[in-house]
Amino acid sequence: MIRSDIIRGHLDSIILRLILEEDRYGYEISKEISSRTDNRFQIKEATLYAVFQRLEKKELIESYLGSVSKGGKRKYYRITSLGKAYLKEMINEWNEIKDIMDLFLEGLQ
Amino acid sequence: MKKLKNHVDELFKDIPDSQEKRAIKQEVLENLEEKVSDLMEFGKEEEDAINKAIVDFGDIEELKKELGMKQPVKKTHSKLNLMYSIWGSVLIIALFLFINVYYTPDNIWFVYPTFAILWWPLTMYFKWQRSK
Repeated sequence: MIRSDIIRGHLDSIILRLILEEDRYGYEISKEISSRTDNRFQIKEATLYAVFQRLEKKELIESYLGSVSKGGKRKYYRITSLGKAYLKEMINEWNEIKDIMDLFLEGLQ
Repeated sequence: MKKLKNHVDELFKDIPDSQEKRAIKQEVLENLEEKVSDLMEFGKEEEDAINKAIVDFGDIEELKKELGMKQPVKKTHSKLNLMYSIWGSVLIIALFLFINVYYTPDNIWFVYPTFAILWWPLTMYFKWQRSK
């Protein structure tokens, strides 16, 4: 399992990306993260909801109640246009970080 | 599923009641229930499934912070410490001054211990500055 403090700073990007693809609800996102990483990274639900709160406060995502599921109405999240712009920014930043780290760590054993 | 609800109640019990809190609690509970039923589909006993869901949930502190719960402020006593050090050093210096003037008025030596003692309030002063 990967050290979560390193990936933590990028959780916003990960979640924004997943919501960009389609509107999703909480459990779906945590499932998606686990399955895409082959369980190499699993997000704790408590963290996930904290990120939702943060992103919603920054108006990068918004929520709405979807159709009725088993128990009640699911809360779905969708990305806002501000969120899309932010994600784009994050992608640029990530590429920059990757380049820089590669300068130092690539090819080393 | 009762156990799950109890656990979620327990998790959220320190957070002051609000519309926001109720919404999140509802959301968390629903998602956890779905996870439990997923786990059960994969052949876990209900008991195991609930336990796993609870363990996977993780630490709620982070969520509390986002919900605007003030973290318990670590109380610093630096101002009190500063006052104490000032009063303490004044008293000690006064004592030296008195002994000096009363017993050896021809020889002014009380300045030396005074300088040594002044380090105490000086240290406390900067500690107080840093904690501000």
